[in-house]
Amino acid sequence: MTTRGRERRRRHGRVEGSTIALGIAIALLLLIVGYPLLWLVLAALGVPAEFRLDYIAGVFARSQNYSALVNTLILAFGAGVVSVVLGVPLAWAAARTDMPFRRSLQALVALSYITPPYLTAIAYIILLGPDAGYFNRILQAVTGAPRGPIDIFSMGGVIFVIAMHVFPFTFFMTYAALRSVDASYEEAARLLGARRLGVVWRVDLPLVAPAITGGALLSAIDSMALFGPQAFLGLPAQITFLPTRIYGVIGAYPPRWAEASSLSLTLVLLTALGLLLQRGYLERRSHTTVGGRGLRLETVRLGHWKWPAIASCGAVVFLSAIAPVAVLAIAAFSKSWIAGLTPGNFTIEHFDEALFNNQIAVRGILNSFRLAGAAGVCAMIIGAAVAYIDLRTRARGRRLLDYLAILPLGLPGTVMAVGVLLAFIRPPFAIYGTIWILLVAYVARFVPLATRSANATLRQIDPSLEEAARISGATRLGALWHILLPLSRPGLAVAFLLVFIPALSELSATILLYTGGTETIAVAIYRLNDLGQLEVVAALAVFVIAVTLLVSLPLNRLAARSRITPAADVPAM
Amino acid sequence: MAFIEISGLIKKFAAFEALKGIDVAIEEKEFVTFLGPSGCGKTTTLRVLAGFLAPDGGLVTVDGEVMSSPNYVVPPERRRMGMVFQNYAVWPHMSVHDNVAFGLRYAKLDRRQQAARVEQILASMGLDGLEDRHPAQLSGGQQQRVALARSLVVEPSILLLDEPLSNLDAKLRERMRFELKGLQRRTGITFVYVTHDQAEAMALSDRIAVFRGGTVQQVGSPREVYERPANLFVADFMGLVNKVPGTVAGRDGETVAVDVAGHRIDAVAHRNATGASVTVAIRPEAFTFGVATEGRVNRLSGVVTEATFLGSIVDYQIDIGGLTVRVQGERRSFHPVGSEVVLGVPAAECVAMPHEAEGAELGLPSPKDAE
Repeated sequence: MTTRGRERRRRHGRVEGSTIALGIAIALLLLIVGYPLLWLVLAALGVPAEFRLDYIAGVFARSQNYSALVNTLILAFGAGVVSVVLGVPLAWAAARTDMPFRRSLQALVALSYITPPYLTAIAYIILLGPDAGYFNRILQAVTGAPRGPIDIFSMGGVIFVIAMHVFPFTFFMTYAALRSVDASYEEAARLLGARRLGVVWRVDLPLVAPAITGGALLSAIDSMALFGPQAFLGLPAQITFLPTRIYGVIGAYPPRWAEASSLSLTLVLLTALGLLLQRGYLERRSHTTVGGRGLRLETVRLGHWKWPAIASCGAVVFLSAIAPVAVLAIAAFSKSWIAGLTPGNFTIEHFDEALFNNQIAVRGILNSFRLAGAAGVCAMIIGAAVAYIDLRTRARGRRLLDYLAILPLGLPGTVMAVGVLLAFIRPPFAIYGTIWILLVAYVARFVPLATRSANATLRQIDPSLEEAARISGATRLGALWHILLPLSRPGLAVAFLLVFIPALSELSATILLYTGGTETIAVAIYRLNDLGQLEVVAALAVFVIAVTLLVSLPLNRLAARSRITPAADVPAM
Repeated sequence: MAFIEISGLIKKFAAFEALKGIDVAIEEKEFVTFLGPSGCGKTTTLRVLAGFLAPDGGLVTVDGEVMSSPNYVVPPERRRMGMVFQNYAVWPHMSVHDNVAFGLRYAKLDRRQQAARVEQILASMGLDGLEDRHPAQLSGGQQQRVALARSLVVEPSILLLDEPLSNLDAKLRERMRFELKGLQRRTGITFVYVTHDQAEAMALSDRIAVFRGGTVQQVGSPREVYERPANLFVADFMGLVNKVPGTVAGRDGETVAVDVAGHRIDAVAHRNATGASVTVAIRPEAFTFGVATEGRVNRLSGVVTEATFLGSIVDYQIDIGGLTVRVQGERRSFHPVGSEVVLGVPAAECVAMPHEAEGAELGLPSPKDAE
C-alpha cells in the first residue's frame, strides 16, 4: 500500500516534469516568435496609439511604397528566371553527364550559397563599379568606351548578384530530381524511337519540371528577403525594395511603425504565397523519387562536347563563387583596391585594422562570435526539446509547437526584426538597446534550422534503444542522458553549426536592431562600406568567409555520423 | 490467480481500437507466445505488459500486484522485467560489456559483484572474448545474444521477447529456437514471446495465444490449437488446412455425420457447429492413402489432379467428386496425376465448424497466411 502511494506520487511528479518542459518550450517560442508576430499585426493597425484599418489599406497609395513593391516583384521574377537559366543546365551536366570536375562544380555552387550575399554584392562593387570596377576597366580598354559599360548599381545588377546567391536552390533541387529518374524511363522512350536529346526534352524535363519550378520559387522567395545586396547595390541608385523601404521607414524620424508593419505583412504574404505554391509543386514531384533503391542512372557521354560544357559551367561558378571571393581577397591585401594586386601595392595592414584596431570592427567580431555561439546553443536546446516532444511524447499541442518552431523559416530577416523591435522596445520585455534583443532575433530566425536538424537526428534513433534502457532500470531522464544524448551528439552539433554559421554574418535583422556597443561583423561591414573603406571591408569579408568555411568543414562528416540506426536492418512491418 | 493476469485490456490509438478486451493468464515459469498476423494487437499487448503503453481499459497484474490500469501505470524501470526487441536495440555507442552491465548500475550490487555477474552471463551466452567489441563489429546472431545477455543479467522474473528471431537467417533462427527454449528451462524465467511465425510458436511455447484484430481467438497448447482450433481462422493460421463445406446428416453426441460432395464424413463437432451446414477442417497430412481398418476412419475416393514433389513430402491436389482437397503424402509412395486413389482420414482429424465469413473460399485448400 505504501509502495503504491509512493509510486503514485512519483508518477505524478514525472507527468508534471514533462508538462513543465513542454510549457517552458511553448512559452519561450510564443515569446520569441509568436509575440513579435502579434505586435507586427497590431502595429499595422495603429496600436498602441489608435486602432484603424487605413494604414494597412492605404500603404500602397504612397508612391515610394508602391514602387518598392513593384521592384520587389521584378527582382523575385528576375532572380527566379536567372536561377533556372543557370541552375538547370548546370544540374543536368553535374547529374547526368560524364563531364569532368562534377564534384568540384557542386562544391563551388554550394560555395556560391554559403558566401553571405552582401559580401558578393561588395565584391561586385569592386568588379563592376561603373568607374573603377576591374571588369569594367577591362571592358573599357577593349571597347574604348569613355566609362565602364556595366553599372552594378542598377536593377539588373541587384538581380544578377542575388541570382548568383540563390541559383543553388534550383541547381540542387533539379540535381536531386535528375538523380532520381530511373534509366528505364529513358530507355523506354529510346526503344519507342526518341533520340537522345528528345529524351532529355520529352522525358527528363517534364519529370523534373516540378523540382525546377519549386527551386525557382524558392530562389524568388529568398531573393525578396535579401536586404544586403538590395541595400548595397540598390540604395545608391535609389532603387528600393520592400526590405530596404522598411529599413527607411523605421529609420525616419519619428519611425512610422504602422507603415513598416504593413510593408512587413505584405512581404510575409508574398513569401507565404510563394511557399504555398512551392509546396504544391514539390508534392507533385513525389512520383519521380519513388524509385529509391536499385536506381540506375543513364549518363550521357559528352565526347568532344566535354570542353565547351566544362567551360560554360566553369564560367557560371567563376562569376558566382570564385571571382567574388578572389576579388575580396585581392582588395583586402591591396594598399588601394583600385590599383589591384601588385607587389608594390601589397599590404596586410587592412587585416591589422579590421581585426585589431578599428573599434567597431573589433567589437563587431567579438559580438558576432558571442551572439552566434549563444544563439546556436539556445536554438539547439529549443530545437532538441521541440523535436523530443514532437517525436517521443503524445503531449497535446506538440503539433502547434512544431509549427511555431518551423514558422520563422518563412519570415524575412527584416520582418522578424520589425516584429522583435516592436515587441521588445517596450515593457514588460524592454530589451532594446541591449545585446539581448539581437540574441532573441537570431534564435527566433534560426530556430527552424536547429529544429529540423534535431528532428532528423531523433528520427534516426530508434525509440527501442531508449525503451531497452527503461526496461533495464533507467528512468526517462536516465534513458535521455545515457542513450539519447550520446547518440544524438553529432546531430546536435550539426544543429548548432547550422545556426552559428548564418548568425555569425547576419545582416538583415541586425541592421534594424543594433545600437551603439552592440555592433556585429555585418554592421561593421555595412558602416565601413558607407565610409568608403572598401579595403578594410574586404579584409573583414575575407575573415568572415574563412571562418564560415572553416566551421562548415565538419558539417558533412557530422551529418554522416548522426545517421544512427540500430545495427540490425528492421523490415517494415 | 495466475502469475501474470491480463484482463479486459483495451487500447486505442486515436480512432483505431488496437486491443478490444484481451484476456490472457500466464503461469509462473511458463513459455507463452502471442501469435497472430501483423496488426493483430500482439505487440501492443506486449508493450502494455512492459509498461511502455498505458491501457485505456482493463488490468495487468503480476503476482497479484497491479502493474497497469487506465489510471495507473508502473513505469517500465520498476517492473523487474527484461525485454528483447525485434531490432535487438543494442546500444551502438557502448561496448558489449557496457551494454550488458547497463542494467546492473540500477541493481544494488557492488563493483565486484557486478563484474562477476557480467562475466558469468557473457560466458553462458558464448560471448566471452567479445567484451570490448562494439555492436557494429558483431554479427546479427551475436547482437541477439548481447540483447539476451543484457536483459538476463538483471535476473528478471519475466522476459518479454518481441519477434527476436525475425531478423536472423533461417539456419540461425532454428538454432536460436533451441537455445531460447533451453534457456527458458534452465533459468525458470517466465517468457512472453511475440511472433507471427506459427512454426516458431509451436516449437517454443508451452501455450499459444492466437490474436486477431485486437482479440484473443484461442489460448492453448500447440497441440490443442493445431488439432482443435477454436475457429477456422485459428485452423488456417496454424497451418495448411482443407476447409470442406458440407451439410449435417446426423448427430451422435460429440460426433456429426456430414455429407461432403457425395461422401459421408464423420467429424468431431465444434461446440458452435449447431447449424445444418458446416465446414469440415482437415489438415493435408491427416490423410492416408488406403484405409486402415481400425478406428473410425472416413473413406474418400478420388483422382489425383496435381502431384508436386517437395522433397520430404509430396503435395497432391485430389478431386473427390467435384471438390479438390490438398493432401500431403509420403515421398516413397508416389501417385502420379490421373491415378485413382482411396483416401482415409480418421474422424478425430476432422473438425466440423460453423462457416466463417472471411477466408472461406469454399472447398479450396487455403494457403497458410503468409507474412
